[in-house]
Amino acid sequence: MTYDAVVIGAGLAGLTAALRLADEGRRVLVVARGVGSTHLAPATIDVLGFAGERVERPAEALPTFVDSHPGHPYARLSVEHFAAGIEWFKARLPGLGYRGGLEENVLLPTAVGVAKPSAVVPETMAAGDLRAGGRFVFVGLGLKDFYPAYLADNLGQAGASARAIELTPPRGAQTDVSSVGFARRFEQPAFRDAVVRELAGHTEPDERIGFPAVLGLERVGEVWRELEARLERQVFEVPTLPPSVSGIRLFEAMTAALRRAGGRILLGQSVVGAETGNGRIEGVVAQAAARPTTYRAPSFVLATGGLAAGGIHVDSYGKIRETVFDLALAGLPGANGRPPFLPTYFVEQPLDRLGVPVDDQLRPTDIDGRPLFENLHAAGATLAGAVPWREASGNGLSLATGYAAAGAILENMS
Amino acid sequence: VAALETEVLVIGGGSTGAGVARDAAMRGLQTVLVERKDLADGTTGRYHGLLHSGGRYAVKDPEAAKECVVENAILRRIAADCIEDTGGLFVSTPWDDDAFGDTFLEGCRATGVTVEEVGVAEALRREPRLHPGISRAFAVPDASLDPWKLVWGNARSAKEHGAQILLYHRVDALERDGQKVTGAVVRNELTGEQVRVHAAVVVNAAGAWAGQIAELAGGRVKILPGKGIMIAMNHRLVNTVVNRCKMPADGDILVPIRTVSVIGTTDSPVADPDDLEVTQSEIDEMLDEGEKLVPGFREARALRVWAGARPLFAPEKVEDTREVSRSHALIDHRMRDDVEGLVTITGGKTTTFRLMAEVAVDAACAQLGVDRPCRTHEEPLPGSEEGQFYTLGARLRAREPRPQSEEIICECELITRQRLEEAMQRRHTENLDDIRRTLRLGMGPCQGGFCIYRATGILHAVERLDGRAANEALLAFLQERWKGVHPILYGDQMRQARLDDWIFQGLLGVQHLPS
Repeated sequence: MTYDAVVIGAGLAGLTAALRLADEGRRVLVVARGVGSTHLAPATIDVLGFAGERVERPAEALPTFVDSHPGHPYARLSVEHFAAGIEWFKARLPGLGYRGGLEENVLLPTAVGVAKPSAVVPETMAAGDLRAGGRFVFVGLGLKDFYPAYLADNLGQAGASARAIELTPPRGAQTDVSSVGFARRFEQPAFRDAVVRELAGHTEPDERIGFPAVLGLERVGEVWRELEARLERQVFEVPTLPPSVSGIRLFEAMTAALRRAGGRILLGQSVVGAETGNGRIEGVVAQAAARPTTYRAPSFVLATGGLAAGGIHVDSYGKIRETVFDLALAGLPGANGRPPFLPTYFVEQPLDRLGVPVDDQLRPTDIDGRPLFENLHAAGATLAGAVPWREASGNGLSLATGYAAAGAILENMS
Repeated sequence: VAALETEVLVIGGGSTGAGVARDAAMRGLQTVLVERKDLADGTTGRYHGLLHSGGRYAVKDPEAAKECVVENAILRRIAADCIEDTGGLFVSTPWDDDAFGDTFLEGCRATGVTVEEVGVAEALRREPRLHPGISRAFAVPDASLDPWKLVWGNARSAKEHGAQILLYHRVDALERDGQKVTGAVVRNELTGEQVRVHAAVVVNAAGAWAGQIAELAGGRVKILPGKGIMIAMNHRLVNTVVNRCKMPADGDILVPIRTVSVIGTTDSPVADPDDLEVTQSEIDEMLDEGEKLVPGFREARALRVWAGARPLFAPEKVEDTREVSRSHALIDHRMRDDVEGLVTITGGKTTTFRLMAEVAVDAACAQLGVDRPCRTHEEPLPGSEEGQFYTLGARLRAREPRPQSEEIICECELITRQRLEEAMQRRHTENLDDIRRTLRLGMGPCQGGFCIYRATGILHAVERLDGRAANEALLAFLQERWKGVHPILYGDQMRQARLDDWIFQGLLGVQHLPS
């Protein structure tokens, strides 16, 4: 089997690059150690939530932001390109009903009641937007990963009208039910009946009802619409601890779309090395169950993630390396005697912007900005220069750079 | 200012202070213990958790070894529920002179340490991860000791005998009437309220802080705090306490305790026991020494590093050399400083805490003019009446017959929701670190990544906290945790820490919480 492109990594960045390439008729292989960070993070597309201050309009804020952060991956992208990627993504996954865009951020409550800015959100979360004010009621299901009274207390402190209700829907014989367990239960009519019955008469007509983000997996749209109809209230989901049910839906929707478009996905294979020559990657070597396998293609996308996902590794001597190609890294500590971390937790750490530096085609470069391989592109959390968990830019970064990496490959091919 | 009247006031809630409170209360003395933070928050809660057989001191300090032999046997009787009977091995690695083994055997025999040389093959069968190049191995009755359980067991016993324990009460002043110490003014650190405690005798069991306390009464006790660092490794790299068979030095003990193994330790003098910085070179030294015991140590996952302050007493007066045993220091300030009503007990080690408490209470009794025998070696601690050692699998065994029948809030340490709620109600605290010390909450591989949000939500409900107080509990726990993890982030634990960043700062946005 020959491929036009091999994508390493099955998080949002890798899947976005692969799906766009497949949409354009390219033969694509995704090879990854396992499922990506989709399963750990909510499925909202946060583009830029905090840049010093909270960001209200990302499209307006981005030019200033990249001016002051020239090493940020966003500095490699144009706003138009960004917007095109988002429109493509929304249109490509109609089942999840994504809403919003770069024009303005919505403010969704987190599970501790912080107002978090997101640009594009699944339809099941949209009614949680705190900007409009109004009254909120948060519903607990006894899920150990969701504490609505605590959430409502903090929202109340911030001036919102919020309260909590605890339900005790039937769990069956099992007591320790995870988010995924609740999501499966929500797909059963009897469970929904029990929830609706228990809530009936306990909410006001102008209240919006927030559930933990466990309203089903494959059938989430159906479940959500049914709850809105039967409760006669606006209903929304609040993301909570991993495993992320909303992220699993996103992964499933992306991979299904990719397979339909002819892409191939191989999970359970770690890419451990490459064959190179003439300034190009000729093939990548994956450690499969039986023996190493080499996958060749004219183009490659590196989307293995950062420190969390294992795309970058630190050993006990403090030696840091990119794990597939041993690429040059930017943002290394120690270069000017800095320790990698500061004693205070809630600040940006010296190591936080660690990653692979890239050129305008998202090709990894050496420290002088020269591309290392003509046909290798990188996307997502592997990239240097961003602190997505603090900027609220996680999935936005992955989507935009995955989309742009595919764009660069398509341009080279034509 | 509220007032309390007591016969004995104990200052310090480590193993020694809790032991003194228990001993005094069991002798029928009215007793109050004050501790500036939580029980076992200081040195006791920061040690490696080794119940010494005496082997470590058999050559270097025979008197200390003899004390360990006696106290090891007593603690196995009275504190079984705090002990995992892991046994211990002393091994000669390729870096050690194997002739020291003979010196070691002689030392053990002379001090009464039960010892048996075992073949290398047998040692490697017992502990397959040990360096295959070891040349000799000796089995001794070392064990691992849960310091929090031990101190809480003593405190509960003291309370059952009528003692009062005041946590988060700091000594502001010691009060004197002429040459006699008459009590202390203590301040509740949580409310700011002061309490005047009148006492017939004050026992200063503040360990590395004993010098600061003695100074408040005009006594002078020179303590040279010695910093020791320890690293908790994920998993049990060994199931037996493993020591290097050589003169005691840095990084030569590996203690399997609960779900982790702890490597220790160092000893470097510091000026302030509250300011214990861990340096990269100390960490590297521990990892390199670990590699000599267990090859591949550096590839194993390190969870957390911390430092404790040993209280090393520096004799200054002629009386000191007479009063001070080799292993601990008892100072009766009557004779030494012409100050009545004050006894200082410091130095020593957790293994011999009970003995230290005994001699301190003997001295207090002498000042009070009463003669009542110590009974702490006879009566088991609450929870240890059955004489059963704890086992690593106990929590799992309790869960296994009906898996998923109870919600597990901390998966690493198998803490159920019910157990957590009970501990919160019992401790009535707004501090999640107190709960950590009580249940080992958040001490496993994820270092609270998953359980601490849950525990905050549950604390908010159980203690009826407002959002702000719950936020403070959450943020304080995260900051405290960071102190122990940031110096040692690499490998899989680096991945974990970054995932925790995504959870707390990305998903939850805790840095934006009002507090």
